[in-house]
Amino acid sequence: MASKANKPELIVNGKRLDGRDFGDLRSLTIEASVLRNADGSAYLEWGNNKVLAAVFGPREATPKHMQDPAKAIVKCRYAMAPFSSIGEHGRTGPNRRAMEISKVTQEAFENTIMLTDFPGSEIDIFIEILQSDGGTRAAGITAASVALASAGIHMKDLIYAVSVGKIGEHLVLDLNMIEDNYSDSDMPMAFSPKDEKVLLLQMDGDFSKEEVARAMRMGLDAGKVISKVQKDALLAVYSKAAAGQKQENGA
Amino acid sequence: MRNIVMPGDIVAQMPMQLENAYVDEGKTYSKILGMYEEGAKLIIPLEGAWNPRIDDLVVGVVVSAKNFVYEVDLSSFMRSILIGGKFDTRTYKPGEVIEAIVKDVEDRRTIILDRPRTLYGGSLLNVKAVKIPRIIGKNDTMIGQIANATKCTIVVGKNGNIWLKGGDIALATYAIKKVENEAHTSGLTEKIKVMLENSSK
Repeated sequence: MASKANKPELIVNGKRLDGRDFGDLRSLTIEASVLRNADGSAYLEWGNNKVLAAVFGPREATPKHMQDPAKAIVKCRYAMAPFSSIGEHGRTGPNRRAMEISKVTQEAFENTIMLTDFPGSEIDIFIEILQSDGGTRAAGITAASVALASAGIHMKDLIYAVSVGKIGEHLVLDLNMIEDNYSDSDMPMAFSPKDEKVLLLQMDGDFSKEEVARAMRMGLDAGKVISKVQKDALLAVYSKAAAGQKQENGA
Repeated sequence: MRNIVMPGDIVAQMPMQLENAYVDEGKTYSKILGMYEEGAKLIIPLEGAWNPRIDDLVVGVVVSAKNFVYEVDLSSFMRSILIGGKFDTRTYKPGEVIEAIVKDVEDRRTIILDRPRTLYGGSLLNVKAVKIPRIIGKNDTMIGQIANATKCTIVVGKNGNIWLKGGDIALATYAIKKVENEAHTSGLTEKIKVMLENSSK
């Protein structure tokens, strides 16, 4: 695992290992409504991350003693596939790390979904990491947000998440696995783009007060790109249905 | 003018009482993925669960019967019950398909049904509840032409369950599924009409 002894040179000639600038995102593509049996779903590829998110609900909350007569409950399950990662990182199964990520994702969405619109129900979010390369919790939240929208769940906003790290004195956006392991610190965060509210903020390592402000600004700027990809993914579902119908008429 | 809105998209710069929208700091935002009609000031959901209203016609399956109180599965997150007895001497067995009217929605959690009618035989089709208004059409035009062309008896429940009996059920199912998939496009009644005419030849 990561140690100071075998730390690689992460920044060479002002560029990162994969040739990106400090403020560049990896390539991001999202496809909405990919699963037939789920109420809403999304498939995301963010660099080498491959994430599948599915949403069920609102449906009757079980077990019944967990029902809230005033609002819906949100359940989230983040899981890594057994074949998703290299080495020890992110083992499959309900381990400490997966439970933590499930919890922070759930809390991010509890503050986004309009829970009082569906009293007594539950909304299930399943995030499955098929291939991981750093920043999977951010990728999971970004995908789940699209899946929730495609399920028609009432939400305040289409949220996204992104991570910012520190390598030496440089702040870098959207860390990949090697950078994540050997960087001095990293900070995944989720935002609501409408009013720039913070829904998730975790930090590993240390940032100065001024660096946190700069990192958040980087995340918010990158969010404009991420939000656009999310919206295009949802729009594509409906333009695709319209195109399919044109072909049928032509034939 | 119709355009697709996402959750968090601004629909008006002033506070407005709109269904499927919310007001925050004096502005109105959409809370669903839907189509916003500027003229009619309406957000039509593209996806989502059925929002029960009083006087909605629904189709469901009886799941339990106890002391003239019947629980009906309407494929909704809300529980729905039908209270029989008193003047109503009819009984319903679990597994029977019924149509009924929503009499009341209690605490937005329990749907009370009234005026039931058993639907004998036939088959049940489940579609997305948000597409039902399009399947019915203005003044029943859409469902009317499907029923005429296929000679089916069709009961459309607002909850997304559709009951069909007799006639060309396969063609009717195909037509309904086509409307469901293309509900957001325009000129659909005409397209379905052409499709039905071609199929019956």
